[in-house]
Amino acid sequence: MTRIDRYLGAATGALVLAGLAAAVSAPPDRLQGELQRLMYVHVPAAWLAYLSFGLTLVGSVAWLRSRQERWDRLAASSAEVGVFFTGLAIALGAIWGKPVWGVWWTWDPRLVTTAVLLFVYLGYLALRRATVDATRRARNSALFGVVGFVQVPVVHFSVLWWRSLHQPPTVLRPGDPTIDHVMLAALVVNVVAFSAVFTVFLRMRMRLARDEAELAAATEAPGRPVAGSAVTAPAAQVAAVTRQMDQREG
Amino acid sequence: MSRAVGAGEQVRALVGLQLALERRTGEALLVVAPFGAVALLLLPMAVGTDVPLLRQVGPGFYWLVVLLFGVMLTVRHSAEDGPGPRALLAQCGVDPVARALARVVADAVLLLAFQLLLAPVAVALYDPRIPGWPALLLVLPLVAVGLAALGALAGAVSAGVPGRAVLGPLLVVPLAVPLLLGATQVIEAAKYARAPWPWLVLMGLAGLLALLATVLTARALEEAG
Amino acid sequence: MPEPLHALTGRASRPAQGPVAVVESVRVDIAGTPVLRGLDLRLEAGEVVGLLGPNGSGKSTLLRMLAGLIPPAGGRCRVLGADISADGAAGRAARAAVRTSVTLIGHQPALYPQLELGENLRLVARLTGRDETDATAALESVGLAAATHRRADQCSHGMLRRADLARALLTEPHLLLLDEAHAGLDRDSVHLVQVLTEAVRSRSGACVLVSHERDRLRPMVDRAVELVDGAVVPASVSVP
Repeated sequence: MTRIDRYLGAATGALVLAGLAAAVSAPPDRLQGELQRLMYVHVPAAWLAYLSFGLTLVGSVAWLRSRQERWDRLAASSAEVGVFFTGLAIALGAIWGKPVWGVWWTWDPRLVTTAVLLFVYLGYLALRRATVDATRRARNSALFGVVGFVQVPVVHFSVLWWRSLHQPPTVLRPGDPTIDHVMLAALVVNVVAFSAVFTVFLRMRMRLARDEAELAAATEAPGRPVAGSAVTAPAAQVAAVTRQMDQREG
Repeated sequence: MSRAVGAGEQVRALVGLQLALERRTGEALLVVAPFGAVALLLLPMAVGTDVPLLRQVGPGFYWLVVLLFGVMLTVRHSAEDGPGPRALLAQCGVDPVARALARVVADAVLLLAFQLLLAPVAVALYDPRIPGWPALLLVLPLVAVGLAALGALAGAVSAGVPGRAVLGPLLVVPLAVPLLLGATQVIEAAKYARAPWPWLVLMGLAGLLALLATVLTARALEEAG
Repeated sequence: MPEPLHALTGRASRPAQGPVAVVESVRVDIAGTPVLRGLDLRLEAGEVVGLLGPNGSGKSTLLRMLAGLIPPAGGRCRVLGADISADGAAGRAARAAVRTSVTLIGHQPALYPQLELGENLRLVARLTGRDETDATAALESVGLAAATHRRADQCSHGMLRRADLARALLTEPHLLLLDEAHAGLDRDSVHLVQVLTEAVRSRSGACVLVSHERDRLRPMVDRAVELVDGAVVPASVSVP
C-alpha cells in the first residue's frame, strides 16, 4: 500500500461519514418525506455508472492508440466497478420507485437506457472472460467497448421517443436548481464521497489486474525465452517420468 | 495470366458462395426458421390464447422472435470461419472489409428470407390488423441489414472464442433495441395515423452505425485472428 | 481512415532484380510469447531453400510471417519489395499485397471443406482474377481430374495436399512456401513439388521447403538452414 493509498483511504472514510451525516440531517422532502433520502445514494450510484463507462471508453480508445496494457486494465477495471454501481443504482431506484410510483420498474427512457448499458457491459465482461490471448482480448474488447458506447445514445434516443414518464432533470438544467439548497449540498457531499469510494475500488481492481497479468506471465513462461523451448527432447522427459514412477513404486 | 480483381467482385463472389452453400445445406435457415415458428406457437400458450389479445400483441411477438432467433442466425459458426477457408481467402488477397461486407449482405438476405417465412405463420396464428402495412416493405430490409451488421460485428470480436454461440447474442441483443422499437412502432404509428418516417430513419441510423463499425474494425480484427 | 478497397487488392509486383525476401532481426510473438527472435534470412531470386528445425522451433510461424499472414513484432522484413514489417496501415497494405504473390501450403489445406475440389479451385481463380478453366487444368495436372466433383471433406489427406499444390500451380506465386514438404505426399507428389519449385525458379521467384527428412530434402533444395530457438543457424544438409 503506497502513501497515496493511505491518504486516499482516510479521506474516503471521512467523506463517507460526512455524506452519511449530511444525508441524515438534510430536511425531509415535502411530498415524499423520509423516502426521498434514497436520493443521496441513488443519484451518486447512477453518476458513477456513467462515469465508469466513460472511463472504459477512454481506456479503450487510449489502448487502441497506444497499445499500452495499463489502458486495457483501466477499461476492464472501470467496466467491472461500473457494472456494480449500475446494478446498485437500478436496485436503489426500484426500492425508491415502489413506494413513490407504486411499481418496482417503469418504462422510462433513463431507466431502460441504464439497464441496456448494464447488459452491454455485462457482454463486454463476458467477452473479456472468454478471450484467452491477452492482446486479442484487449483489442476485441476495446473495439466492442467503443462501439457499445457509441450505440448507447441511439438506444437512449429510441427509448426516449418511445415513451417518457420520468420527471425532467432537476439539477442539471439552466438557472436556479429546483432542489432545496441544503438538500443539494448533502447530495454534492455524497456524490464526492461515492466518487472517492469509486476511485479506491478502481485503483484496487487495476492493481489486482496487474498482479493477475504478472502471475499469468510467470506461470506461463518460467525462464522460457521463446515459445519453442516448451518442447524439449522426449528422451529426457521419458527418463524423468520413469524415474518418478520408480520412486513411487520404490 | 491474371487480372486485378476489384473488391466489388470479391464481395459478389463471396455472397454468391455463402448463399450457394446455404442452399445446399440449409443449415441456417432450415433450422432457425422452424425454431422461430415453434416460438410463435408457444408464446400464446404462455400469455393466454385470447383472440383479441393476440391480435393486439401479435406483431410484437413476431418482431421479438425475429430479433432473438435472427441473432442466432447471424452469430452462427458459418462456412468461412474455419481455418481452411480463412487461409484460402487471406491468400487470395480478399480484403477483410470485403469479407465483412459479404457476410453482412449474405446474412441480410438470409434474415429477410427468415422474416418472410415467419410472417405468414404469425398472420395465421395471431390474425393481426396491420394498418399501413406498405411501410413494412422498408422495415423488413432495415431490420435484416441492421441485425446482420450487428451480428457480423459480434461475430468478428468473438471469433475463435469458445462459447461464441451464447456470447454472440448477449453482445448483439442490447444494441438491437432501436431495431425492435422501430419495427414495432411503425405499425403503432400507422394505428394512430402518424408518419412512420422518424422510426424508419432511426432504424436506418442504427443499421448504418453498426455497418460502419463492422467495416472500420474489419482490418484491425483480421490480423488479431 | 482505412485506405480505399482497391488500394489493397493490387498485387505486389516482383522487382526486376534483387532478393525475393530479406529478413533482418525479426521478432514474432504469438499470444505474447516470442516465437521468432533476432531472425535473419535472405532468399535470392531463383533459390530453393530447405528449412529444418525441431518441433516448436518456429518454422511454421516464419512461413506465415513471410506469407503476410502475421505481422512481425520487431525488426525489418521485405518480401517482393514490400515492407511487411512497417507499422500501422502501411504494413497492413504491404502484407495484403504480398499475400496475393506468395502461396503458403500449410499443414491444413486452404480449402472450403463443404465445397467440391473443383469449386474450391474455381473460387480461387475467380478471387484472384484468373480464368476458371485454368482451375480445372490445374486439378488435372496434379492428377485429381477424377476428383473434381468430390467435396473436400470427403477427400484423403494426400488428395487435399495435392489440391493445395494445384492451388499453387494456379496462383503462380513468386514465393512458394511449403510446410511439411514430405508429409502426406507420395513419390508422384514429391515430383509435383519439384515441378512447382522449378516453375517458381523460372519466374525468378524463390521457394522455402520445410521438412524433417534431411535425406529426402537434399535433392530438392539449393541450400538449407535450420531454426533453433527462433533464430536461424546454418544447417548440416550438404548440397552438391
